[in-house]
Amino acid sequence: MASHSPGTDQIDTLFWIGFIAATILIVVVLGALLYVVRRYRGERGAEPRQLLSGRGPQFRVGGVLTVFAALLFILGIVFTGNAREKPTTGEAGLASAKSEPLKIKATGQQWLWRYDYPNGAFSYYKLVVPVDTAIELELLSTDVVHTWNVEELARKADAVPGKTNKVFFTTDEEGAYQGDSATLSGQSYAAMRTEVDVVTPEEYEEFVETQNEDIDAAEERVVGLIENGETP
Amino acid sequence: MSPSPHPELVAEGYGAKRPRWAQLATSADHKDIGQILICGALGFLFLALVELVLMRIQLLVPENTFLSPVGFNRMLSLYGASAIFLFALPLVFGLFYYVAPLQIGSRGTALPRLGQVGLTLWVTGGVVLYSTFLFTPSEAGVNPLAPLSEVAFLSNNGVDAWATATGLATLGFVLLAVNLVATFRTMRAPGMAWRRVPVFAWGAAVSSWLMIVVGSVLLAALTMLMIDRNYDGIFFADGSGGAPLLWQHLSWIFYTGTYMLILIFAFGAIAEIFAAFARKPLFNRNVVMASLAAIAVLGTLAWMQNMLTAPIGIGWMYFAMLVSLALIVPFGLILFNLIATLAGGTLRMRAPLLFAIGAIATITIGLGSELCHSLVASAWHLKNTVDSTAATHFALVGGSVFGGFAALHYWFPKMTGRTMGENLAQISFWTILVGLVLGFVPLFFAGTEQGQVIDAYKYFAGTGVTAYNVVASIGVFILSIGILMTILNAIFSRTNGPEAGHDPWGGDSLEWFTLSPPEPHNFDVLPDVRSPRPLRDIREAIGHRTRRSERAASRESQPVA
Repeated sequence: MASHSPGTDQIDTLFWIGFIAATILIVVVLGALLYVVRRYRGERGAEPRQLLSGRGPQFRVGGVLTVFAALLFILGIVFTGNAREKPTTGEAGLASAKSEPLKIKATGQQWLWRYDYPNGAFSYYKLVVPVDTAIELELLSTDVVHTWNVEELARKADAVPGKTNKVFFTTDEEGAYQGDSATLSGQSYAAMRTEVDVVTPEEYEEFVETQNEDIDAAEERVVGLIENGETP
Repeated sequence: MSPSPHPELVAEGYGAKRPRWAQLATSADHKDIGQILICGALGFLFLALVELVLMRIQLLVPENTFLSPVGFNRMLSLYGASAIFLFALPLVFGLFYYVAPLQIGSRGTALPRLGQVGLTLWVTGGVVLYSTFLFTPSEAGVNPLAPLSEVAFLSNNGVDAWATATGLATLGFVLLAVNLVATFRTMRAPGMAWRRVPVFAWGAAVSSWLMIVVGSVLLAALTMLMIDRNYDGIFFADGSGGAPLLWQHLSWIFYTGTYMLILIFAFGAIAEIFAAFARKPLFNRNVVMASLAAIAVLGTLAWMQNMLTAPIGIGWMYFAMLVSLALIVPFGLILFNLIATLAGGTLRMRAPLLFAIGAIATITIGLGSELCHSLVASAWHLKNTVDSTAATHFALVGGSVFGGFAALHYWFPKMTGRTMGENLAQISFWTILVGLVLGFVPLFFAGTEQGQVIDAYKYFAGTGVTAYNVVASIGVFILSIGILMTILNAIFSRTNGPEAGHDPWGGDSLEWFTLSPPEPHNFDVLPDVRSPRPLRDIREAIGHRTRRSERAASRESQPVA
């Protein structure tokens, strides 16, 4: 999957490091196994040499494996550290988010994602963020565990009731990115999807403004209906 | 009543011979209990396959409506519980329970009635799990994460039944494990020091300790879950002092420990089979034994490797990565020594060896892909995609199906006196291998490239995963056919297989010293154990004496010059 954020670039790199390391191990083991099986096949024959142990190869193999694991651990720490780095808002980003990242709350609930923006506006299913802007997504849950998963933009993270989990990301390109939930959360789990619309800062300002006005208008209308004694 | 032929031994005549089923049902003999566990495990394997196939039919095409969402979640929950608690663990413990006491030269077990209670609890657990078809099976998935498993979200009795069933089965395994530990500590044959115990029996000892630890943790968690659900508990509720993450910690300790336990079992069995079929001793026994113990400890400590997307501190994530990557060393050393055991041998490519080689190959692929799930940031990409389904299935089908079937083919002659049909075994092996590769390799791609999520009852067209899922479904059908072949092979060979004799493979450990099947008391006489290969010592001694007496005879027959 194409990465559209510096954080996911790091995640991708580490994944490929792991992939290559795993491939090396698998190829070596399977290669040795196949070679040995082909080479030493024989139904009858003299009894083979009864070799019990060899201390030298143990230390060599153990040493190589230890170095291999240690190297992977260091690479893991380095790239995980890079991926966790808090991003900064760039030139094309939202002006008000230059010093502090734009804080948005994402709340998982069976089976929908709700997003709350700083000015009080909110939206369901679709998250709208300005391009090239540092975003701090605060993950919350009102019911069960959900996993927020928009692979092209940010890391996977769980929304656990009673806990806050934070995801930081920026985006390099406008567009619509598909996402979903990655932890079984009940019947409609597979349908619990989301979308992130990355737009220009102006379009973002306009979106939260209109969204706010629409919500206010809807609320006023509901309050009006109730005051008139009607059921909304 | 006619007078007994042995009046000096029998005071009141022989007891009436009871029918075989009555004998089995009331027996506390470790061999009977082991056989019931193995047969039961194979039966539940069939049911687990039915559930897996139903799920794969649902996932054959995008947005399929073959199963309802709830129906899919029920199949998923039943499949997970069946595969782990009713197939893999009982097969593992059945074989341990049957073979390990024989291997250490014991005439029984230390606490036979405890084992019998364990078996009864396990059977009851299986019955409880499948009786949920009468009302509602659990919908909470393979590992029912709180708070989804709480009564507020799943108010029917499915989760209660799931917790009861897995709890009873786990308690059963813990009791069997306690008996095995007691047996190992008190009933080893004269001279059977720990350094001479066969690797499979050593694996049984390590696994039993591991089950006592992680099984107790799961039992505690299940008790909390039942209190939460039925007595207004707050263990896993957020706020008021409870914590949903507590369930994740406790349950992953159990599941990770079980994962390691299945691999320890598989490596133990493979070590015995490699040595017997290469006609060589296990290369570096001590290193292999130490590595098995290291896997039990490090592997279980790596439980948080499953929680890398949860809100836990980054330090804990690095800790999980550290112990997961540290596992490369013991796993690597075991693989190296197993392959080195084959090297230089004369390999007889019979079914047990074939399955054992298949187990090594698939476990390696599974563990290799698990490596990518251990690097923290990489796990943020891979966690909960079908890539993790594939990794887990490669390791655990490798361990429990390939490893379990290797052990089954290897010790089947000891249990029944007959070998399993060789041709069918070979066909079954290749079918399972093809099925496993076709069934789960596509999921690696669907998970890493397209991020298809785990446990979902449907996927959408246009997400690029349709082709992968079609191939995976076909692969699982083939896998099921292959597994069925071995189950049928076992059933038919029990009565119709070729007669095997007492030591068909030329094994070196004590279980081959007794009859096939063994008498209830296992051994009439026991040799003095002087090395890890007592039977080889006996054969050499006999060979030596035969040669000496032949030499003497030829000397005598020589004409006096």
